[in-house]
Amino acid sequence: MIQNYIPIFFVIAVAAIFGVAVIFSSKLFGPQRPDKIKESPYESGKKPFGNTKERVSIKYYLVAMLFIIFDIEVIFVYPWAVQFKSLWAEFGIFAFLPMFVFLIVLEIGFLYIYMKGGLKWD
Amino acid sequence: MGNIIINDLWSFLKPEIFIAGGIFIILLADLVIRDNRKAIHFTALIILIAAFASALLQMGTESFIFYLGKGNNHGLLAVDPMSTFIKLITIFSTILIVIFTITSEEFKGSKFKSGEFYTLLFGMLLGMLLLSSGADLIIIYVSLELLSLSSYVLAGFIAGSNRSSEASLKYVIYGATSSGIMLFGISILYGLTGTTNLYAIHTILVSPHVNYLTLGLSILMIFIGIGFKISAVPFHFWTPDVYEGSPLPVTAYLSVASKAAGFALLIRFIKVGFISSVGTNGFWNFYENFDWQLFLIILSIASMTVGNLTALWQNNVKRMLAYSSIAHAGYMLLAIAVLSEKGMLAFLVYIAIYMFMNLGAFYAVMLVANKKGNEEISSFAGLGYKNPYLAFGLSIFLISLTGIPPTGGFIGKLYLFIALLDGDMYWPALIALLNTVISLYYYVRIIKEMYLTKALDDTTIETSKTELTFMFALVAPILVFGIYFTPLVNFCTNFVRILGF
Repeated sequence: MIQNYIPIFFVIAVAAIFGVAVIFSSKLFGPQRPDKIKESPYESGKKPFGNTKERVSIKYYLVAMLFIIFDIEVIFVYPWAVQFKSLWAEFGIFAFLPMFVFLIVLEIGFLYIYMKGGLKWD
Repeated sequence: MGNIIINDLWSFLKPEIFIAGGIFIILLADLVIRDNRKAIHFTALIILIAAFASALLQMGTESFIFYLGKGNNHGLLAVDPMSTFIKLITIFSTILIVIFTITSEEFKGSKFKSGEFYTLLFGMLLGMLLLSSGADLIIIYVSLELLSLSSYVLAGFIAGSNRSSEASLKYVIYGATSSGIMLFGISILYGLTGTTNLYAIHTILVSPHVNYLTLGLSILMIFIGIGFKISAVPFHFWTPDVYEGSPLPVTAYLSVASKAAGFALLIRFIKVGFISSVGTNGFWNFYENFDWQLFLIILSIASMTVGNLTALWQNNVKRMLAYSSIAHAGYMLLAIAVLSEKGMLAFLVYIAIYMFMNLGAFYAVMLVANKKGNEEISSFAGLGYKNPYLAFGLSIFLISLTGIPPTGGFIGKLYLFIALLDGDMYWPALIALLNTVISLYYYVRIIKEMYLTKALDDTTIETSKTELTFMFALVAPILVFGIYFTPLVNFCTNFVRILGF
């Protein structure tokens, strides 16, 4: 049984050896003449300044999260809408109800955000 | 076809429907009537009582729901006596938690958002209800996630408390890792069998062509997810930190309800997936593919020993109860490890009594913490003279947790040992007995602190009449079941059966 997995172990081993080899071979064989400009984070480009803790406005996250909600809605609704005719022929009203319930659940979430003042950002 | 689905839903899934509807009712009620906490508490109680009554009414029924398709007679959910019992336990403990929440001092401030709290609590409960009757790995995983995600938020529910946020973060990290590993295990099991339905998996695992090594690996991986939920050693590392940091009602809820749901999953997984039949003497007949008994015995002995020995050194009562809950998970795991109908009965009796005594102990600790602001053991000094009623109640809970007659805890242990001796498991029984003796030390340490140590300060610990009444309502079943336990055992006997076995 375990023999069947030998190719997988082989690939893992090759990947590990290759990864290590590439890193060390460039150190071993390549010429190395470091200077101040080469050691800087961006060799060609603007000089970096400030630290990485850049503050981003909370509105950005709100918009992003709201986008996700409606993005998922579209992902669910689109294939359903494409197949709706055949679903209707087979299931009748029960092709329609589940999506209806899903949309209501989603809208309740949106209503919650709206009424709790999630969209008042000034 | 549609009508059949609706009929099935209504006749077998009433508790789930009530709770799922309750989530929206409470969310909308919170939006419409703002800042009226009493109304929200009341609505939640009404919905829970309706769900409990409907679970009681569907006692004895069993059926698959959501059939996979024509010609396939397995469903996504299996409603059967065992799942109904776990539903009763989880819904009843939720009712008690609502009462905890009303009297909790941590939830008194203006920052406490009752609408969100109950929405999440109901989300957790819905996850447990579906988990206890999930017969398909996909629905098991989804309901486990529903349960976990809600509990992560609840663990950090006190806004602005560092302790609570830390608990929540640790819970998320441990939970995400273990559920990821569990999902990997599920995928391996799916690869082995080609189906996600437990009942269908059973028919495939019968054949000798299954690779035992891969099967064992996938079982271990799935067990990591289950072990995390029931906090069995070695998957227990999150328990003390999360239990200590979470708000007390949430801690109490995690220690009882989510454990019960985890055990329900474990029992269904073993019984449906791996046994060929239930013998006439009540023992489960297994195929030769995985040594469940040895596996469960090792884990349960590790759980109770580590839990009890670590609890000895704790000075925070909440943390001590966290370790004690790990030890109790060990006892319950041992009851399942007998792998017989008697072991199942012992488990059901144990968890029913465990619900009363553990919730009661947490409630008494909460009443002290409400006044003192912490749960250190020194806060309990002199409680026996400051508030004799509270101290008496807490003593009963602790004695029952140890398992000394005439309390319910003794009956739970008694049935456990009967099942163990019935299954010829003398060594595990001996170790469990020794562990009970060890646990006596740290439970009695609190009682000693209450009655024999002088209080360091003159602060009084007052409790209102309602709080005391509620506490004695939890003391009563423990004392009653300790003496007159036949009704409880007879009640539990009806719920041993699982669909198909």
